[in-house]
Amino acid sequence: MVFSAITEFAAQEPKLYAFMLGLVGAAILASVINVAAMAVVWLERKVMGDLQARYGPNRVGGRWGILQLGADAIKLFTKEDIIPRGADRPVYVWAPIIASATTMLVAAAIPFGAVNIGGKEIPLVVANMDISAFYVEAVLSIMAIAAFMAGWSSNNKYSMLGAFRGVARMISYEVPMGICVISVAIMAHSLNLVEIVQSQTIWYAVAQPLGFVIFTIALITDLGRMPFDQSEGEEEIVAGYVTEYGGIRFGLLYFQEYNSMLLGSILLVLLYLGGWNGPTIPVISFISPMVWFLMKVLIVLVSLIWIRVSLVRFRIDQVTDLGWKWMLPLSMVNLAWAVAVGLYFA
Amino acid sequence: MTTANDVLNALESAFPGAIQDAKVKFERQLWATVKPDKIVDVCKYLTNNHDFDHYSGAAGVDRIDEGLFEVTEMLASHGAHQVVALLKVQTPRDKPSVKSLTGLYWNANWYEREIWEMLGINFEGHPELYPLLLTDGLMGAWPWRKDFKGYPDYTTGERAVEMLSSDGYSEYKIGPMDAEVESGAYPYEKPEYPTFREREEAEIKSESEMIFHMGPQHAVVPGPFLLDLLVDGERVRKAFLDIGYIHKGIEKIMENRTYMQGIPITDRLCYMAALSNNESYCGSVERLLGIEAPERAQYIRVITQELSRIQSHLLGTAEFLTLIASAVYSPFLYMIIDREDVLTLIESVTGARINHSFVRFGGVRNDLPDGFAEKTKPVLKMVREKTEEYKELFLSDSIYRKRMEGIGVLSPSEARRLGVSGPPLRASDTSYDMRREDPYLLYKDLDFDVITRKEGDSKARVEVRLDEILESCYIIEQCLDQIPEGSIQEKLPKRIKPEPGEAYYRVEDPRGEMGFFVVSDGSDKPVKVKARGPVYAYFQALPPLLEGVYIADVVAIAGSMDSCTSEVDR
Repeated sequence: MVFSAITEFAAQEPKLYAFMLGLVGAAILASVINVAAMAVVWLERKVMGDLQARYGPNRVGGRWGILQLGADAIKLFTKEDIIPRGADRPVYVWAPIIASATTMLVAAAIPFGAVNIGGKEIPLVVANMDISAFYVEAVLSIMAIAAFMAGWSSNNKYSMLGAFRGVARMISYEVPMGICVISVAIMAHSLNLVEIVQSQTIWYAVAQPLGFVIFTIALITDLGRMPFDQSEGEEEIVAGYVTEYGGIRFGLLYFQEYNSMLLGSILLVLLYLGGWNGPTIPVISFISPMVWFLMKVLIVLVSLIWIRVSLVRFRIDQVTDLGWKWMLPLSMVNLAWAVAVGLYFA
Repeated sequence: MTTANDVLNALESAFPGAIQDAKVKFERQLWATVKPDKIVDVCKYLTNNHDFDHYSGAAGVDRIDEGLFEVTEMLASHGAHQVVALLKVQTPRDKPSVKSLTGLYWNANWYEREIWEMLGINFEGHPELYPLLLTDGLMGAWPWRKDFKGYPDYTTGERAVEMLSSDGYSEYKIGPMDAEVESGAYPYEKPEYPTFREREEAEIKSESEMIFHMGPQHAVVPGPFLLDLLVDGERVRKAFLDIGYIHKGIEKIMENRTYMQGIPITDRLCYMAALSNNESYCGSVERLLGIEAPERAQYIRVITQELSRIQSHLLGTAEFLTLIASAVYSPFLYMIIDREDVLTLIESVTGARINHSFVRFGGVRNDLPDGFAEKTKPVLKMVREKTEEYKELFLSDSIYRKRMEGIGVLSPSEARRLGVSGPPLRASDTSYDMRREDPYLLYKDLDFDVITRKEGDSKARVEVRLDEILESCYIIEQCLDQIPEGSIQEKLPKRIKPEPGEAYYRVEDPRGEMGFFVVSDGSDKPVKVKARGPVYAYFQALPPLLEGVYIADVVAIAGSMDSCTSEVDR
């Protein structure tokens, strides 16, 4: 009954139908991504707790503290919304919105695994673009602009230094990161993330070990996580570009970080760790690719958390030094390697 | 080796008539009154001819009955000999003025500023007589003078005057009311000087520079103090340090308490080193009383103080590693767990974890509990293993090393000139440890090494601390094996009234040289107590050390000093 009404509507108004379908898809995507990011926050707090010989959240929501994040979210939503006197008001207000919108834009082009229907793998992706790898790279760098807007508009010295550091770091690591993506695209003969996954008969982490390492480091830098979180170095510049933010505006910036951590891990799995490829698991062959995919993402996430707990922060000059003097030349070497291997097998 | 008598004879022949009441007390201390106009020459002579290159501090005493102020300059040597010279300079009360030693000793600066703001003694030739501990509103009443009546009561807030600044923020003025000054109820002679803010803003030379505030409340400072950095981008061009945000007036409080009541107050100087502070104060009063603790009590003191050193170094290292590792304080969480076991041991002896008030004049409060040695040895073994593990984990990791090596390098000569002591001085290749240089308790009979490093950077300071933990374990084990049976407390009169006189007693705090200078007039309350703390000296040395470094390194340098604001402000 409902289905027939919908198909009728789709036949009569195809453009409007496509638009509404897009809206529904975006709503589903936004909720899934944000809930998943909350799960990442919970995972990080729990794993960090275990690694540091303490418990982590263990009160709200049973002994695993599952509802802690709900409680935090409610707190952030109900807090007073403060805009500092002297702040550049429109920029200050828009920075968190742009930051979280960016992650949504990235999420639209990223496949979230695949399902196996009748021996055919169907990737779960909202917008399957031919240039999705390039698109994701390009849109990810908008994040630095949002961070800079936040830092600049706050009219605070800590925020401004944090913003400067963030941009300096982004510039020095976007280049090697982009070159790594190009190397992968050369091997896969495609910029489409789905095709890149499908072309990985052997993982690109094995085919391009150097590229894998460089991309991982550049990704951590891009995400602004330890040991590359100079833009919010607590003991020097308090909280960097988010110092003046509070309430839900802070919440948006905070979730944006975990959204991008999740998306970054997925990107790493897609580009280098074979995405959802893996031997079919007999009984649950329908979701077998999904299981492989989630397992890989989880391993990457836990590794990122482990790195955060273990290492100390680089100084900003050491970061740019590493970026320009080591990462960039090495990524060029990796590009040459990718081209040579590509020519050999062509 | 030079003895105090040699120095005394040399002084008397070099400056005939300028030295009065000279005597040698407590084996190694030379006490003398020097004519005011000769003090700089005498100090110069001592520095050049007898290696008195360490300015240990200065204390100002108000001798109201004689109409005099007395400034005691304390000089020592960095390892050339063990003599401490305490030179007193007297100046009339109505127009007090003393020659400044800042030209000779760089670190005399803060000690003289403090005496100036508290007692109102002018120091001729001092380059920057600005308030150090007091706020501008409290200046001019000279609170350490014996005729000081107290500040007006502002605790209710009624007397504070609200003023609106030009930016629209409320500020509160806590100076005395004009009427009080005019009626003479409040003695007030406000000195003229540029304020802290005016001084730092005068240094801004170009458009690209700005003042970057760290403190008084900052994410990670160990207590409230203001570190203002004049930065050009990420580089620090000049650092300004303002202290006094938690000034408690401990020394003045102790003047109004009996000698015994002073002990708990010394705990509050620094909660990480409460036992060393107890020891320093009690040792000084013991010297005034002319008594010494029985042997068993001395062993107990050494054991507890070394345990205290272990826990302080563990926390100091943990705090430092947290400062460079930020919010993910893994090293901190690991070390604090080990520290807990050590604290439990201390608690089993003293009954308290932080504020012990354990040391007594001529003894200790109570004996070791039964089975203490059996409980201690496994803990020491654990501490040893963990310390070795931390050295491997944190000091050999390449990223940790990147943040520590070559950061905040203090050359040996610079470290001595700036007057730092304790681990930062020993990390700069100077073997200067009170347990060896000014031996107290049983340390001259105990076997231990003074740990030194050559590099003088942040990493060397952390290494010295971790290695000292191992040495402390060794000292405790020796004491546990050797400790004799016997009394733990010397017989003392009910009311403690030392003979008139002065005493100075230095101990090796976990952070460095801690000295208490106590003056008695024969009554049951001290005339003057001066605490000379090690962190005060580190703090003074920070601004020159921070010039030209990156902002991120500021915390790596300040943190490696292991600071404690409570002791700086007293």
